Amino acid sequence: MEEKRAQLVDIVGEAGVIDHPDVGESFSLDHELIPPLKPCFLVRPQNVDQVQKIVLWANETQTPLVPMSSGAPHFRGDTAPTAPEAVIVDLSGMRRILKINRRHRLALIEPGVTYTQLQPALQEEGLRIIMPLLPRANKSVIASLLEREPVMSPRYQWNLLEPLRSLEIVWGNGDKLWSGGGVFRGEREEEWRMGLVPLVGPGPGQLDFYKFVSAAQGSMGIVTWASVKCEVFPECRKLFLVPAEKLEDLIDFTYQLLRFRFGDELFIVNNACLAYILGTEPAEIVALKDTLPAWVVVVSITGGHIFPEERVAAQEDDIRDIAQRFGLKLMPAVPGCRGSDLLNLLLQPSSEPYWKLRYKGGSQEIFFLTTLDKTPSFVATMHTTANEQRYPVPDIGVYLQPVHQGVGCHCEFILPFDRQNRAEMDRTRELFREASFRLFRQGAFFSRPYGIWAHMVYNADAQTTMVTRKIKDIFDPNHVMNPGKLCF
Amino acid sequence: MTLARNVYKALEDIVGPENISDDPAVLDSYRYSLAHTAIHIGPYYDTFTPRGEAVLLPGSTEEVQAIVKLCNKYKIKFKASSTFWSAQGYPSGENTIQLDMRRMDRILEIDEKNMFAVIEPGVIGATLQAEAMKLGLNTHLPGSGCSCSILAGATSYFGSGPSNLYGGWHYDNLLALEWVMPTGEILRTGSLGAGCGWFCGEGPGPSMKGVARGFLGAKGAMGVFTKCAIKLFAWPGPQTLPVEGTIPAYRVSLPDNFKAYTVAFPSWRAWADAAHMIWDAGIGYLAHRQFNMFGRDLKFAMIKILTDPTKTLGDLEELLEDPEVQKVTQESMRDFQIVLAGMTRRDMAWQEKVLDEILRRTGGWKVEAMNEPEIHDWALLYLIRLGHKNLNLVYAGGYDGCFGFLGAPDYGTTYVEEAAEFKREWEKRGAIVEAGGDCMMGPIGGQGGGGTCLWENFTCFDPHDKDSVEGTLEFFDACTELGLKRGWGVGMEKWNAAARGPDGRTPPKEERDRIHLAAPQPSVFRYQHRVKEALNPNDLGDAYYETLED
Repeated sequence: MEEKRAQLVDIVGEAGVIDHPDVGESFSLDHELIPPLKPCFLVRPQNVDQVQKIVLWANETQTPLVPMSSGAPHFRGDTAPTAPEAVIVDLSGMRRILKINRRHRLALIEPGVTYTQLQPALQEEGLRIIMPLLPRANKSVIASLLEREPVMSPRYQWNLLEPLRSLEIVWGNGDKLWSGGGVFRGEREEEWRMGLVPLVGPGPGQLDFYKFVSAAQGSMGIVTWASVKCEVFPECRKLFLVPAEKLEDLIDFTYQLLRFRFGDELFIVNNACLAYILGTEPAEIVALKDTLPAWVVVVSITGGHIFPEERVAAQEDDIRDIAQRFGLKLMPAVPGCRGSDLLNLLLQPSSEPYWKLRYKGGSQEIFFLTTLDKTPSFVATMHTTANEQRYPVPDIGVYLQPVHQGVGCHCEFILPFDRQNRAEMDRTRELFREASFRLFRQGAFFSRPYGIWAHMVYNADAQTTMVTRKIKDIFDPNHVMNPGKLCF
Repeated sequence: MTLARNVYKALEDIVGPENISDDPAVLDSYRYSLAHTAIHIGPYYDTFTPRGEAVLLPGSTEEVQAIVKLCNKYKIKFKASSTFWSAQGYPSGENTIQLDMRRMDRILEIDEKNMFAVIEPGVIGATLQAEAMKLGLNTHLPGSGCSCSILAGATSYFGSGPSNLYGGWHYDNLLALEWVMPTGEILRTGSLGAGCGWFCGEGPGPSMKGVARGFLGAKGAMGVFTKCAIKLFAWPGPQTLPVEGTIPAYRVSLPDNFKAYTVAFPSWRAWADAAHMIWDAGIGYLAHRQFNMFGRDLKFAMIKILTDPTKTLGDLEELLEDPEVQKVTQESMRDFQIVLAGMTRRDMAWQEKVLDEILRRTGGWKVEAMNEPEIHDWALLYLIRLGHKNLNLVYAGGYDGCFGFLGAPDYGTTYVEEAAEFKREWEKRGAIVEAGGDCMMGPIGGQGGGGTCLWENFTCFDPHDKDSVEGTLEFFDACTELGLKRGWGVGMEKWNAAARGPDGRTPPKEERDRIHLAAPQPSVFRYQHRVKEALNPNDLGDAYYETLED
């Protein structure tokens, strides 16, 4: 072990190697089903050369590597080692914003760059990046996009990986490759003026390299920079709420907005989820749950840089008309929530404590992809299962996020639990397991299969498993990258 | 008739005797002339793609799978094609059977709410578009036009076209797919493999759709795609296109929430600025530099001919003398077409206002002659339907593209005049049509929402004239030489040189290796080689899947 340590110090320096690291508390109840192992070291590379050397060293020494870019708490167990004597590759120190270019609406960032860091820098240039719902303040932008975390603005999602574009990847075999248009790294200002910049995500060639590191939980390679597509920072924006007592009443209305690509941020939440977003402490959350409408469509309207007020006014009138056609009302506020307040929250990463933890200190997520029309039946299944497991249904937060311009929908259940209460933890864990299986059998697509979900989905699709393993063997032949995850 | 009889019989047992042939006359009808419109491979006079050993018309995924398994057993190469656009859909060597996918032409489902269609390979753009429009939806049509297979463009080639801007290119639109892999095993990607429907092509975990295609597809060299789901988008127009007119002047008059403008600019910088502003504002249903394919000097005269059924190509020279035509030609030198489609009246009003403001800020203008009702409605139909691909060949029966600057607008606009002037000089030699040098066309928005453009410089020639064909080839070689000298790289005139040589067959390995080693990242081709070894161990495709051994 001392020899390994010395070799790592040679690569990243003494300060870059941490022995027996505490990688932060994990909130996944999955861990009691798949126990994580303690890593030996944590290393902090500062550049791609060091990353490459670490990966080559891992191949020589058969040492498992677990890439990690975001800070704690970690929720899904993907950064918790499942192989012994692993080394955590902590990329949070690589946090340079390499370039922001207004004309091409492109930013080049390293893996340690967080939304907290990036969004203000973009705003200075008149840009923004479309965000997931209230990411952790220390959440890596690249990690979030690589993990296909849904973003709040489906209209800009031309494919499921948007706004991720070109990447620099160090594969598990130590090779470096630029995916998409990454060969144009824009290192010289002249290249930016000429438009030779990493605008393109797919390829190059006939393979789609960035898809192999997408949702891979660090099991294929390490991304050392990425270009991300940005949107114009809107000079004018408003947020509205469309309440309903039943989820079913909101579905067709939301479909119509998706069809017209009206609205910018656009999603559906239930009262519990909205309370967790708005509330700052448990008592307030309880009160909010009682006050807020059962279900709400959250829709923002943005005006870009040309006639922004007129754009917002026109779309506000149009959406109001559409809502009326469906017997709904477009409102600037509902009991317990003003649109302007919610907008201010949504434009930032989550304040501390993280919003999913505010109610009870712990929280378990269940999420998958489906289509919007099927979400009511999944909600019903979740409620039934919760009742059977004696978990309080009113505590279940529901977040429905249309993705890929409305073709699919991210369906997420948030299950708060008290980490000090063993019985509650057990009930929640059992609910998590039972509901996961039932939802899966009902047709929930666990496209990002963390923990126990991996066994479910890969066992049910032998051909995908076989091809995925063959691809893994090509890019990480010694299986040093985060072994034990997915189907590896 | 070189297929062993027992093999032929085994194949016949799979598809039935009416769906297989090795009659030389039939097989020759499945060959492709490299002197004709070769799409970036020729032109090579009097050269045809190799004759297949047999042609089969499978009717189902099961039949395709059985054929592929048999090919593995007997080590026979296979090449599937749906609508046979360009030489890439044809064999590039011997010992190859051809799969003509036209029998698998069903639209299996249109999911109206979730905006996608599930289709088989033989479904052409026109059919899918017509069915989608009945439901208030539309499909993106690749640049190859509405008579081409949607699945082929999405899975196996490029899938880019005029409606990338709003509709997304088919890389983006490709959802789940069903793929008979080169070994005969069937991979169903994303939600389909999980039994959850067609709505998602990615995952679980790392997306194996990334094996099926990257920036480009495998061009039929890595198995057969038998079904796929394609994302659709809103069509705020009538359920059927009310087409009027007489051939070739078909046109469509749509409600006021549709407008097709030709906009032009005082400089290329202004042109690029306008493209960026359009993307930033998020306006436009379709944007393309379309009619410039007829050439900077000829385009308006050609539009006058094509919108007037009483006129023919014989009127071209007279029209070019018309001062009014000359004036429009001059004012539309740096132009592109943009279609606005308002989802509502208010939306349309806002988009119109924004476009006017963009033109004001850039010093651009609407080419008023293109707003004449007959011309406007012709252009609108042309752009929405993309059903006029025959016009690519209108001058002399053959065309091909060269240069093909791909990148941000600033890239193409920097070099457009230099490349145009280069071509203009070659046009004077007589082998290619004199059209003004700049015949560059391509999308304003190479991907959904914009960001990139493509500048394909159309080069028209006579495929039945040896001098014209050989002169064009000479010009293309000169384009490549210029591209390398200027740092633009090898242009689209040589896009397929790595896969098919002047004899219509796969070039020697040394030549392919030389090309791949000269690429910015040769490792891309090495990884493709490893993927081929893993998934196509009997090497039953052709060199259109580009590889480089370690």
